[in-house]
Amino acid sequence: MSAFESSAPLQLPTVSQPQRVLRRFLRRPVAVVALSVIVAIYGIGILAPVIAPESFDDTDLRARNEAPSWDHPLGTDNLGHDLLSRSIWSAQTTVIISVGTVASAGLFLGVSLGLLAGYRRGLADFIIMRLGDVFSSVPTILLLIIINATLKDRFESWFGHVSEFTGIGWFSDSGVPSYFLVFGGLAVFGWVGIARLIRSQVLALRESQYVISARASGASTARILFRHLLPNVGNLLIVMLTMSLGSVAIAEIGLSYLGVGIQDRPTFGIMISEAVGPGKLQNVREHTHLILAPGFFVVALVLAFNLLGDQLTDILSPRRR
Amino acid sequence: MQTRNLVYTLTAIAVALIVVIGGLSLLVLSGGDDDDGGAANPDDTGEEGPDLGDRIEGELRLFGADPQTMDPACATDAGSAEYIVEIFSGLVSFDKDLNVIPDIAADWVVSDDGTVYTFNLRTNVLFHDNSRRVSAEDFKYSMQRALSPDTQSTVGDVYLDDIVGAEEYSIGEADEVTGIKVVNADTLELTIKEPSEVFLEKLTYPTAYVVDQREVGDATCFEANWTLTPNGTGPFKLTDWDLGTSITLEPNEGFYLEPKPTLSKVTYVLSGGSAFTMYENDELDITGVGINNIESVRDPSNPLNAEYHQGDSLNVFYIGFNVNEPPFDDPDVRRALSMAVDKEFLANEFLEQLVVPAAGIIPPGMPGYNDDLAGLEFNPGAAADLLDETGKADDVDGARILTSGQGAAPSDILQALAAMWEENLGVTIEIEQEDFGLFLSDINEGNFTMFSLGWIADYPDPQNFLDIKLHSESSNNESGYASDEVDALLEQARSEPDEASRIDLYQQAEQIIVDDAPWIPLYHGRSSYLVKPEVVGFETPPFVIPNLRYVSIDR
Amino acid sequence: MPAGLAGYILRRLLTVPLILIVVSFIAFALGRLAPSDYVEIQAGTRAQPETIARIREERGLNDPIYEQYVRYVGDFVTGDFGTSAKYRLPVEDVLLPRLWITLQINIVVVILSWMIAIPAGVWAALRRGTWLDPLTIGLLLLPASVPVLVSTPLLQYLLVVKLGLLPSGGWSDAEYFGVELGIFSKRAVLPVLIMTLPAVAGIARYMRGQVLEVLDQDYVRTARAKGLPGTAVVTRHVVRNALLPIVTLFGFELAALTGGSIIVESLLGIPGVGQYAFEAIGSRDYDGIMAVVILGSTMFVLAMLVVDVTYGFIDPRIRLGEGLSE
Repeated sequence: MSAFESSAPLQLPTVSQPQRVLRRFLRRPVAVVALSVIVAIYGIGILAPVIAPESFDDTDLRARNEAPSWDHPLGTDNLGHDLLSRSIWSAQTTVIISVGTVASAGLFLGVSLGLLAGYRRGLADFIIMRLGDVFSSVPTILLLIIINATLKDRFESWFGHVSEFTGIGWFSDSGVPSYFLVFGGLAVFGWVGIARLIRSQVLALRESQYVISARASGASTARILFRHLLPNVGNLLIVMLTMSLGSVAIAEIGLSYLGVGIQDRPTFGIMISEAVGPGKLQNVREHTHLILAPGFFVVALVLAFNLLGDQLTDILSPRRR
Repeated sequence: MQTRNLVYTLTAIAVALIVVIGGLSLLVLSGGDDDDGGAANPDDTGEEGPDLGDRIEGELRLFGADPQTMDPACATDAGSAEYIVEIFSGLVSFDKDLNVIPDIAADWVVSDDGTVYTFNLRTNVLFHDNSRRVSAEDFKYSMQRALSPDTQSTVGDVYLDDIVGAEEYSIGEADEVTGIKVVNADTLELTIKEPSEVFLEKLTYPTAYVVDQREVGDATCFEANWTLTPNGTGPFKLTDWDLGTSITLEPNEGFYLEPKPTLSKVTYVLSGGSAFTMYENDELDITGVGINNIESVRDPSNPLNAEYHQGDSLNVFYIGFNVNEPPFDDPDVRRALSMAVDKEFLANEFLEQLVVPAAGIIPPGMPGYNDDLAGLEFNPGAAADLLDETGKADDVDGARILTSGQGAAPSDILQALAAMWEENLGVTIEIEQEDFGLFLSDINEGNFTMFSLGWIADYPDPQNFLDIKLHSESSNNESGYASDEVDALLEQARSEPDEASRIDLYQQAEQIIVDDAPWIPLYHGRSSYLVKPEVVGFETPPFVIPNLRYVSIDR
Repeated sequence: MPAGLAGYILRRLLTVPLILIVVSFIAFALGRLAPSDYVEIQAGTRAQPETIARIREERGLNDPIYEQYVRYVGDFVTGDFGTSAKYRLPVEDVLLPRLWITLQINIVVVILSWMIAIPAGVWAALRRGTWLDPLTIGLLLLPASVPVLVSTPLLQYLLVVKLGLLPSGGWSDAEYFGVELGIFSKRAVLPVLIMTLPAVAGIARYMRGQVLEVLDQDYVRTARAKGLPGTAVVTRHVVRNALLPIVTLFGFELAALTGGSIIVESLLGIPGVGQYAFEAIGSRDYDGIMAVVILGSTMFVLAMLVVDVTYGFIDPRIRLGEGLSE
C-alpha cells in the first residue's frame, strides 16, 4: 500500500520512552489479556516437544473419531491421532512459520531494505521501491501456490544436499524444507510494507534537526540511525510486526488448508481441512469435536492479534490522551 | 477507566460467542429430525432449486464436473467419457449386461485368420442436425483423425494401434492408415496386425467414435470450440454447455437403437459444492455416497436408506513397488509388507464397506474374476518373521510412498497403512504427497520406491488389467515388473479363441503375479449411490458405458 | 522530467509496464518450471511416453523459457491471450464469464460491508468514552477473527443442511435483460455473507480511527466550542476529511479480487476467477495462470496508481516529496 506510507503526513515523531509505553500498556487490561493469549499459544507451540502427550503421528486405529474423554481431552480424529497433541504441534508450526517469516521478512529484509532506500536514495531507492511495487501487486496466494508446485521438489533436493554437505541431518528432516519454502515465500511478499514504512521515516528524519545537527557534529551514519531513527520508528515498527505475525499465521493456515506448503506436520489448516474440508460437512454434526479444537485455537489467536493491534495503535499513537 | 473498556470488550465478545455457540448447539443437538429440513417435502421443491429451472417433467438432474474435453479423439479420462458416450457413438458399444452390441454397425464378420473385421453399417444413422447420414467414409476420417500426429491426441494410438498402418501414420510416415478401408458407403473394413480377442472391445471406446468432418475439419485436440455445439450421433444431443455451471442434454429423436431415450432432458450441475447436500435439498436426482455420509445413509431409520443402491465397479486400488531397486527388488520384502496389511479392516471398518478387499488384481464382476484366488493373507506374525529373515528391515525403514493429491493431508488410507506397517513390522514408511503433475513425471521416470494408484477398466476384460498393467513391455507398467512366465501366458491369451481357456490363462497369470507381489492390491471400489424413487432404470454402470437411454422418470 | 502534477503522473505511469513485465515474467517462468506439463497431466496414466514427448515438442513446450516468453508477449499484445489447456478454448472465453461472477460477488461485498461499517465506525467513534464504543468494536471483531475456512462450513451447515434455507453452493445462470446476473439469487447469499462479515470489522475500526483523528483536530474543537451543533460538525468536517484515506482502501479492496476469493469459491463450488486460478495451477494451464496473474497485478497496479495520483493531487507535499527522493 504505497499510498499510505508515502503520503503519511511528514510528522516528526515524538520520542516515547519504553517505560512510559510499558506503563500505558499495563494499564489496559484488554491489551494485557490479548498479549497473554498470544504468549500462551506461542508458548505452547514452543514447548510442544515437552508438553505434547503424544507425537503428532501416533495413530491408534482402534480409537478413531472419539469424542473428548479423559484419555483424549480433545478427542481423536479419523486416524486415532490425539487432538490435543495435534493442536499443540500445530501451534508449533504456527510459531515457526510466523516468527520465521516476520524475522526474515519484517526485520531482516524490510528494515534493511527500507533503511537502504531511505538513506542512500538514488538508484538503490528506485530499484527497491519498484521491486516493492512488483511484489505487492502480485496476487500473493496464487504465486505461493505456484511457487509451491514448482519449487517444492527442488527445495527438498537442495536441502538434501545441504544436509549431506554439512553433515547436519536436520536439514533434510521431514517438513524442514517445506518450512523454509513457506516462510521464504511469505517473506518475499511480506517485506514491502515494513520497508516502505522505514523508508518514509528515514526520509522524514533526514531533514530533521536531530539528524542535521548530529551530522554536523560528526556522528557516523550508523550512529545516527541507531540513536535517532530506531527509537522513532520503533513504535510503528512494533505495531506492524505484531500485525504481521498475525496475518502470516492466518495466511499459513489458509495455505496449508489448500494443500500448499507444510504437509508432513500438523497445522491448524490441515486440522480444519480434515474436520470440515470438502465433502466432510457432516462432521459438524457427527463429530463436532473435530472442528472445535483447531477452531478454538485459531479464533483465539486471531482475535488476540486483532485486539492487541488495536490497543497498541491506541497506546503508541502520539495524539492519544 | 481502562478496566471498563476491558469489561465491555470482553462482554461484547462473550455475548457474541454465546449467541453463536448457543445457536449452533441448539441446532446441532436437536436430534435426528433434521433430515426433513430438505428432502421430504416435494411441495417445497419449487423454492429450492429454482435457479436451474424448475424441474421439468421427465428431467434428470445429475452432478458432474467440466469434462476435460468433449472431443472423442482426445478423451483420456472417465469423466469426459461419461458425456461423450451419450453424445457420440461408434461401431459397437456395450449393453447393461456388458455384452458387446452392434451400435452404428448393424453386424460384422471376422475373417478366419481373425485379422479382418468387416462392418456393415446401418443406413438410418443421421447426425444430430439431420443433415446427412453416417457413412464408412466418416469413420475412416474420424479414426484417422484420432491417430493423426496433427491432431495431437495422446490417446488415439492407445486404443487403435492394433490396426495395420496405424503406427506409421501416427508418426507421420504414411499418408493414411492402410488398415482402415472404405469398401463402400455402408461397409467398413478394419485389418489388424494380429488376431486379438479384445479388439472389438477397444472399439467401444470414444477414440473409435464418429465425428462430423464438416464441423471438425482439422481441429487439434486443443482447439475445442466445435465441441460446444457438437454434431454427434449418440442418444442425446448437447444443447447447452455453460462452462463451470451446467451441461444440458436432450434426447436425439432419431436415435437408431432400442430403447430410445425417454427422458425429456438431462441436466448436469457442474458447480455447487456438495452433491450429497444438493440431493438432500432435492436439487439433484442422483448422487454418490461417500465415506462421510455412508453411516447415516445405511441407518434403516433414515428415509434416504430406501434410496440407497450399491453396485460393482471394475477397478482396483493398489500400492505398487519399484521392483528394480532395493529393497523392493526382493520379492520376500514385498510379500512381507503385503502380509502386514489388514485389508479386511481397511475395507470393512476404515472404509465402511464402501469397497471390497482385494486379494488379486481382477475385480468382482469382471469376466475372469477368481473367487478362489490364493492371495497373500493378513498375517502380521509371519510378515514380521519374513522381513527379519531377509535382514532388510533397515532398508525398508524410511521408504517413501508416493501419492498424488491436492488437499491438506495425505489420504487417510495411506496413513492407516503406514500405521499398520509401523505396528506390525516396526518400519516407518513415509507418505509423500505431490501434485498430480509431479506425481506423473516421477512415476514415468521411475523416480519412486512405492506409489499408490488406482486403475479403472476401459472394457470388461482381464486383458485390460493384467496385460496392460503388468506385461513387461507395456508402457503402463509403472512398477517395472517383468516375468517371462507371465508374459508368455498373457501373450498366449491375446489371441486364444476359446473363452474358457483364455480365462484360465489369465487366472494363472494373476496367481503368479499375486505371489510375486509387485503390487499390493488393496481393494476394489464399489459404486454407492442414492437415486430418487421417481427415477426408474438407473444403475451406475461398472465402467463408462452409455446408459441414460435406459432411464425414465416416473413423475 | 517535467515537474509538477503532470510529471508526477507521467513518472508513475511509466512504471506500470515495467512492473507488469517483471511480474508476468516471474509468473511465466515459475509456471513453466513446475514439473510436468499439461500434456502429460491430461494424458494421465493412459498414454505412450513417446506420444507425449512428441506432442510436447510440437506445442513448443521444450523451447527455452525466454523464447516461450517472448512468444507469449508477442501474442499478448496482439490480443491473443492463449488457449486454456484445461478447457481447450481461448482463455478469454473461459476467463471472462468467471471474472464477471467474481466481480459481482466482490462488488456487492464491498458495498455491503461499507454500508454497514462506515456508520458503525462513525457511531463508535462518536461514542468514545462510553461503553458503546468497545462494545461495537468487540461485536464486530468476533466474526472478523473467524477465518473463512471455519466460518464457511459452519454457516453452510447451519443455513443449508439444518435450516434448508439456501442452496449449498454453486452459481445460478439467471438472466435479466439478457445479462447473466447470478448475484440476484439465493446462491449468492452464502458467499456474500461469508465475505462481508470479516470485512466489516476492519473497515469500521479504520473508520473509527480516522474519525477520532479528525475529531481531535483543533478546528473541530473550535467549531464545537463555538457552539455549532454536533451533527453539523460531524457531517461537514469530520466525515469529509475522514473519508479521503478511505477511498484508497476502497480501491485496494476491489483490486484484491483474485487472491481473496480462492478459498470461498473453492469451498462453495462457485465458478469464479479464484477457483479457476487454483485449478489452473494444478492442471498446468499455463495461459490461464498467466491471464489470472496479469489480471490481478494490473488491477493492483492501477489501483495503486490512481491512489497515488489522487494523493499527489491533493497533497502537494507528496509531489515534492517524490522529487526529493528521486
